Amino acid sequence: MSRIPEAPQRREFLKQGLALGLAVAAGQTVHPGQLFGSALDPDPEVPNEQVAQILKSLFGDRPIRRGQVTLDMPVVAEDGRVVPVIIEAPALPMTTTNYVKAVHLIVDHNPDPYLAAFDVTPAMGRLSLQFRIKMKRTTWVRAIVETNTGEVWADYARVSVSLNGCG
Amino acid sequence: MTIGDARIRVPAKIQQGDIIAVGAIVQHPMDTGFFRSADGQPIPAYFIKDVTVTYAGRQVAHFMWTSGISRDPVVTFTLVADREGPLTMRWVDSKGAVFEQTAQIAFSTT
Repeated sequence: MSRIPEAPQRREFLKQGLALGLAVAAGQTVHPGQLFGSALDPDPEVPNEQVAQILKSLFGDRPIRRGQVTLDMPVVAEDGRVVPVIIEAPALPMTTTNYVKAVHLIVDHNPDPYLAAFDVTPAMGRLSLQFRIKMKRTTWVRAIVETNTGEVWADYARVSVSLNGCG
Repeated sequence: MTIGDARIRVPAKIQQGDIIAVGAIVQHPMDTGFFRSADGQPIPAYFIKDVTVTYAGRQVAHFMWTSGISRDPVVTFTLVADREGPLTMRWVDSKGAVFEQTAQIAFSTT
């Protein structure tokens, strides 16, 4: 075997190592987008078949777009038994002809990921919901709203859980 | 503290047309079914699964919950106070028990 093909292989290997090192370094720092929910961040990957099925049964093939809704949760939840959630959509209309009709909360790595659904109406004036949930471990949380016209908007929060709240 | 005891909080002063924040709490263990008692017996799942909000005779919201909602569930939501009348919340748990609480929406005259 000639030594010539080995040189580019080695270079590739070093490049991959460098890329991996950078990725690890990036993963260890808090990306500003994680704190502020930048629309430029990629959506979190669907982690498993269970969550994929939930999303498919709720929204079919409709696109789930990031925006219009905000999901506020702590970056670190000390106690997974009580984790506060605030879901708001101040920019979405709540009129009799154009309104948010449902809000869904999905916690990717909980034993029962489809944690809650809220059917809402224009009588609420604007969308603002606060409640508290249990979380088993560190995971992405998805707040997804549906409008009466069929639009689907989402926001995501990654929450680090210190104490398992699900047993 | 008794299972099903509930409170609803609305602002003290409401003007007609205000978007008000309504807060509610109900006492409930919200057992997941994943825990065991001190003597090792499994604690079966037992939780609020359905909440309806009715305002002056119209249903304005309906929540579907699981045992993933924290113990003694609280929820805060908004409401357009466009008429005076009762605001009734009804919680139904996984054994079929029904708990109800009502707050009066009345406009302040000052």
